[in-house]
Amino acid sequence: MTHADPAALPPPAAKPLRTAALIIYGTFILLALTIPQSLTNWLRDMNDNPLQSVALRGTEAWQAVTEKTRLPAVYRHARDVFIAVSGVEPD
Amino acid sequence: MLFPTIEFAVFFAVVFPITWLLNAHNTSKKVFLTAASYYFYAAWRPEFTLLLLTSSMFNYGAALVIDRCKYRRHRLPALWLAIAVNLGLLGFFKYYNFLVASLINAAAPVGLTIDLGFIELPLPVAISFFTFHALSYIIDVYRRVLPPTKSLLDILFYISFFPHLIAGPIVRANKFLAQTLGPRDPAHIRLGESVFLILGGLFKKVIVANYLATGFVDGVFRDPTANSSFDLVLGMYAYALQIYCDFSAYTDIAIGVANLLGYEFPQNFNYPYRAVSVQDFWRRWHMSLSSWLRDYLYIPLGGSRFGILATYRNIMITMALGGLWHGASWAFLIWGCLHGAALMVERMLGITAGGGRTGDTDDDGAVAQRSPLVRALGWFITLQFVCLAWVFFRAPSTDAWLGYFATMFAGRSWSTTMTPFLAVIFVLGAFSHILPPRLFDDLQRRYDAASLPVKIAAPFVVIYLIAVAAPSGIAPFIYFQF
Repeated sequence: MTHADPAALPPPAAKPLRTAALIIYGTFILLALTIPQSLTNWLRDMNDNPLQSVALRGTEAWQAVTEKTRLPAVYRHARDVFIAVSGVEPD
Repeated sequence: MLFPTIEFAVFFAVVFPITWLLNAHNTSKKVFLTAASYYFYAAWRPEFTLLLLTSSMFNYGAALVIDRCKYRRHRLPALWLAIAVNLGLLGFFKYYNFLVASLINAAAPVGLTIDLGFIELPLPVAISFFTFHALSYIIDVYRRVLPPTKSLLDILFYISFFPHLIAGPIVRANKFLAQTLGPRDPAHIRLGESVFLILGGLFKKVIVANYLATGFVDGVFRDPTANSSFDLVLGMYAYALQIYCDFSAYTDIAIGVANLLGYEFPQNFNYPYRAVSVQDFWRRWHMSLSSWLRDYLYIPLGGSRFGILATYRNIMITMALGGLWHGASWAFLIWGCLHGAALMVERMLGITAGGGRTGDTDDDGAVAQRSPLVRALGWFITLQFVCLAWVFFRAPSTDAWLGYFATMFAGRSWSTTMTPFLAVIFVLGAFSHILPPRLFDDLQRRYDAASLPVKIAAPFVVIYLIAVAAPSGIAPFIYFQF
């Protein structure tokens, strides 16, 4: 992939910073909603410290809430299908 | 801290808003970004932040001393001293053990015993990159291309800025320091390009490079003689794709992340395996290193100004040192010399970067565009040469590459252990070179023109799919060791 020719691109968005922030945090929120277990697992792998304990409790609570939407289950199912089809080693 | 990790996502989620909140207060912003960069570096080994700090402070002072010398004859010794200190530091950590081992091995056959100890220190991550950044700064000050900055903070920021710190691209001091003078304009954020660079980088690293490495390449190179000839041929091409997807992924993400923070980095890759000559390859591969070597080594050596023999010598010195820059081993030296020899041969044959012949046209290869057969032949030969040379780069020892080539060319068994899944990954990786650039440009344009929900949904969907298909661990980037 190369840099695009700036002259060939449309003019920048009216509020590029606001748009960039919405894209970044919107993406993070959607990922946290659909794959919350990745946050929990990441924190579990960290060394114990007070901040990690608080964050872990928070993500566990968040995961419990999102599980009710069944969105994390969709991810797990998709992952299982991918592993079955591709033949890669399970996690 | 690796780019494609939650750790980095959290880090960036904190750094991004604070950077822009502090934008109107430029000094505070630079203090914050420098501190964040040192934190980023400390994630590997905190003690080496002292090395980074010392190197930056030394070069800050060295530039001021060099600039204070009015006459060139006074500036030159100061520059040489500064270069010696920088290269001495790099040499101590990176090349000392290699030199000692080479001396011991060379002395043994003649009955000499050399009693030199080895140092048992890990190689500081990014030492080659921050040394080259520092050298670019002091040499530009020496050449009066750039006035030395009075601000130590600017130098600390320039050398440590986290997107380029670990594996480039190598950003020239004059290009970067100009960006540190005042607040950055958010209008310079190229959202579509940054998003595509980051997403493309994640795909190339997490999916293509990781699967090719763990699923095929590592096994093939671990014991080449235990593999079929066909697997070794595939392994050679797979490694070529792996190293491209690995390294270009890092610099693509670095460029995208820097742009989201308001800073511009140079392009580092431009479809290198589409090159129609080795010279063309070096104008497309690790472009920031190639141009660094050209401007700070090849041209000062004399370039092509002193006759054909001196030109060949300068090419070989540049490419040999460029090879050694990657690591302290004979294999890297051989790899660099092979590319140097190929560049010399091309020069002898009068082949230009564009695949035409010297004298027929300029280096953009206008003639080559009129002769597609020559271009196709040039592309084919260049690709085979580059991929064969990668074997030296990847093989862990002399025995390994000797065994690799012996088995590969023996034509022993044409079976393969590459699974259909890895073959699909291989093809997907190859698409990074097969798909026309204007397709990516068009997608970026569509993304920029899309509504906000689409702008948010697109990266989410891509990252979600990458997460579904990702291997369970992320291997470090290859260029971290350099």
